[in-house]
Amino acid sequence: MYLPDFDYYAPDSVAEACSLLAEHGPKAKILAGGTDLLHKMKHGELAPEVVVSLNNLNALKEIRYEQGRGLIIGARATQNDLATSPVIQEKYRSISEAAHHMANNQIRHIGTVGGNIVNAVPSADLPPILMALGALIQLVGPTGKRTMLLEEFFLGVHQTRIQGDEILTEIIIPEQGFTGSTYIRFGLRRSGALAVASTAVSVTMDGEICRGLRIALGAAAPVPMRARAAEAVLLNRKITDELLEEAGVQAAQESRPRNSIRGSEEYRRDLIRVLTRRALKKAITEGHV
Amino acid sequence: MSLDERITPEQAATQVGTASGENKEYSVIGKSVGRIDGRAKVTGQAKYTGDLKFPGMLYGKILTSPHAHARILSIDTSEAEKLPGVKAVITHKDVPSLKYGISPARWDENIFCIDKVLFVGDKVAAVAAVDEETVYKALKLIKVEYEVLPAVLDPLKAMDEGQAQLHEDYPRNLNTEIHQSFGDVDKALAEAYHVRTDYFVGQRAYQSPIEPHSAISVWEDDKLTVYSSTQSPHYFQYYIARQFGLPMGKVRVLKTHIGGGFGGKLEPTGLEFAGAVLAKLTGRPVKMFYDRHEMFAHNRGRHRQYMKLSTGVDQNGKILGVHADFVMDGGAYTSLGVASAYYAGALLTILYDFDNYKFDMYRVYTNLPACGAQRGHGHPQPRFAFESHLDNIAKDLGIDPIELRLRNARKANTVTPNDFKVESCALTEAIEKARDISNWKQKRSHRPQGRGIGIGLGAFVSGAGYPIYRTNLPHASAVIKVNEDGSSATLYTGAVDIGQGSDTILCQMAAEAMGYSFAKMQIISADTEAAPHDFGAYASRQTLMSGWAVKEAGEEIKAQLLNTAAGIMGYAVEELDCRDERIFVKDQPEISKSFAEVAKEFFVTQGPLVGKGSYTPPKLGGKFKGAAVGTSPAYSFAAQVTEVEVDEETGEVKIVEAWDVHDCGKVINPALLHAQVHGAFYMGMGEAVWEEVKFDDQGRILNSNLAEYRLPTALDMPKFHSELVDSYEPNAPWGVKEVGEGATTPTMGSISNAIFDAIGVRISSLPMSYEKVWRALKEKRKQQTT
Repeated sequence: MYLPDFDYYAPDSVAEACSLLAEHGPKAKILAGGTDLLHKMKHGELAPEVVVSLNNLNALKEIRYEQGRGLIIGARATQNDLATSPVIQEKYRSISEAAHHMANNQIRHIGTVGGNIVNAVPSADLPPILMALGALIQLVGPTGKRTMLLEEFFLGVHQTRIQGDEILTEIIIPEQGFTGSTYIRFGLRRSGALAVASTAVSVTMDGEICRGLRIALGAAAPVPMRARAAEAVLLNRKITDELLEEAGVQAAQESRPRNSIRGSEEYRRDLIRVLTRRALKKAITEGHV
Repeated sequence: MSLDERITPEQAATQVGTASGENKEYSVIGKSVGRIDGRAKVTGQAKYTGDLKFPGMLYGKILTSPHAHARILSIDTSEAEKLPGVKAVITHKDVPSLKYGISPARWDENIFCIDKVLFVGDKVAAVAAVDEETVYKALKLIKVEYEVLPAVLDPLKAMDEGQAQLHEDYPRNLNTEIHQSFGDVDKALAEAYHVRTDYFVGQRAYQSPIEPHSAISVWEDDKLTVYSSTQSPHYFQYYIARQFGLPMGKVRVLKTHIGGGFGGKLEPTGLEFAGAVLAKLTGRPVKMFYDRHEMFAHNRGRHRQYMKLSTGVDQNGKILGVHADFVMDGGAYTSLGVASAYYAGALLTILYDFDNYKFDMYRVYTNLPACGAQRGHGHPQPRFAFESHLDNIAKDLGIDPIELRLRNARKANTVTPNDFKVESCALTEAIEKARDISNWKQKRSHRPQGRGIGIGLGAFVSGAGYPIYRTNLPHASAVIKVNEDGSSATLYTGAVDIGQGSDTILCQMAAEAMGYSFAKMQIISADTEAAPHDFGAYASRQTLMSGWAVKEAGEEIKAQLLNTAAGIMGYAVEELDCRDERIFVKDQPEISKSFAEVAKEFFVTQGPLVGKGSYTPPKLGGKFKGAAVGTSPAYSFAAQVTEVEVDEETGEVKIVEAWDVHDCGKVINPALLHAQVHGAFYMGMGEAVWEEVKFDDQGRILNSNLAEYRLPTALDMPKFHSELVDSYEPNAPWGVKEVGEGATTPTMGSISNAIFDAIGVRISSLPMSYEKVWRALKEKRKQQTT
């Protein structure tokens, strides 16, 4: 239950942080909120020799809207920052709601959106809603920055495309014509429980016709995944309850959940069906919720 | 009264019924005075054992087994001893080899394992070092060579031939076998109009007190003092003295504040024994503690029970006979399990009036952490099973579940088939009130999709009739000493406040008996040296038993004061009374003296003003084997109605609202009582739907943390109503009865029946998790379509 010994750096710029990461290579780990890193270190699952804290990089906490670019969320914004941000609530209340319902208040006060993404666990709550909204992420390294679609970032459990000397600095939700979005998670109690299954959706409705949509599933595969076959069921179709159920069935079919002490594969798959149908219905009828 | 509406303590007090048979106005009891330890706790001043520090204090921890069953081939502590900061490393060679336990019939534990380890977490060695970090490092340096043996993890297979044997003295891993029979069950079932058999399975649950166990051992010459997070300093003192061959007077056990126990802190642990040896060897105080994982591994939580129930009824639903046939997973040691096993069957007779009863029980050893007493001790799972079973019978007969219960409900002044004498019993009133305030009839007949409402009854002993080991000591005793100038009084009692509020209510009782005021009371409790003997906080005993001793001590103070006052005031003692700090002439209350004035005069003329009291229950129970377990001077009764909403697609169970109506005798502090009922419901609903300790196929715990052992959160709590019925218990001081454990016994049954009402399918194993509900609904749909 004790942290192993390590060297601690708290650089004042992203550039300095990147050069520290480059210098120490795989021996170094980034500390943002620490809700995952410190837990793993205390339990002996990780023993980095160097910890590079982002604590002084206050610019990474910023949440703003830029005309033409979209909604920009700094990677160090905490889950409670997302939940309470007037800018996010105005643009995509679904992100605030997703952040508000994850973990528990203590964790939400300290856990960051960047950590929730980079940690790359299947049950993470923020990747599905951000993916559904077509989020891009910006990675900064010693030689410059690059931008990629969030849904292309994940490779496996705890595996992503980030390089050892890169830092996730911001999440960008570009302007798109969504009419609704939402995230529904299913946990085994009402607070402080990891998602057993979750579904995020965004929809662009034209009357009763669905002109565009994304469905992203959490805890449904080793990585947060798009349910593309389920999306195809609805695209450019007139939406009916039967069609929504069909999309749910399709999402369940293309998901790849695992057995764990929190739920069997069979159960999770059926939850995905129900959650997908419910999320679609909610986003179509209620907007960004 | 609904506690979700904000109420003042004064309002709460007025809403409590006056005890029948007692029309007397009370000055101190029956009022929701604030907790005596409330300020210290909410300001953070309260010190728990783990907060204490002593000069030169070392930190100690225990090395435990990584295997479920293995032979110890060698233990090499040399590397650990060389680590700077390590002051002592001990193994079985350094401690007495005398077996101990909490149930004298089955002492089967050693301080450290000698030949074999019996579960993942069994104790092998211990270290004391200058700080915690060094202790953890040193533990990793102890080299233990094991020969891994086949383990038995399934209690239903543990009794088979050819399975691994845990203890040589207990062939086929049979720890406790019980066969009790009263009346003629076979005949009753043969003649019954309807016989139903159901099978239920419980789960391993853990008490999860917020405060981890800790103990600090300090030697001064040949005297050992142990500060411990304990429910019973007395039993700790007894067993520690026995283990080290010390007179009890050379062992002092005391506690500071306690962050909950729920049965898990009733027996001494390796922390006290190993700590005492480490402190002796190093000559320094040693603080030992469990972390959250170690708490789960040490366990002593709820047994998993496998429960077969067969009941015969007549055509009106009157119960004619019951056969309970149970198996209990005991884990690797006995702990309090002998009592748990007897309680499981003993208390099934308490709520319903029937003559023919048979109880068979096998408590078996497995290579898993030992189980013990958890709130409601042995009773909650069988009660869940029986309440569910009864609703199944009600459905078979087409009788409303409440009507069926009313037809069978126990009445006052009756005796159970297993010889428990029940004097006060307002069960019928409790059921009727629960029915009415929950709007049962309307909700049963018009239920929206997914909604259901169910009832469960519960009951518990108000203190066990006999102590855990054989002794003729009184069960409780108390001393009250009034300060020289009468400006305060201190109650000394061995009773143990583990968070339930006994320090507060015992001071209320003392003040009432003395004619004094609560605000001027102080208390020194749960210290084997500074306070007189009491068995401690278990079996819901303190309000009644410690209360008797306190009442007697307070009355002795009052008698002495009145005697002195009679001389000063020129009246006969019989003409005087004392209350609210005033001694007055009964017929002319305006003629009075202050308590303080007379108390001071007493001290000047006669020395210290001291009162004492003690309590021993009358001889209770029958003569058959195990007749002692379940005896009590008084029994509490409760009816609980719960409304649930089930998401029929996901299986999610939402507890919507619940109503508890209690017969717990005269209430001393209504706010504390309702808080107990709230907490008990919370715990019961956790075990009903969420909580379960899980293991992998090697006997390792999979969820020994509060993220994956899912206690409910505040958001899961329903709107909750705690109400009372008028009741007075003749065998108790002021007519009191227990509430702490009884309130947790009806909950699993009422939730089970509510889910049954909502979905029409019985979930027969605990916890009734979302996935189990989902699976049951899936099966139901499959059957409907075929």
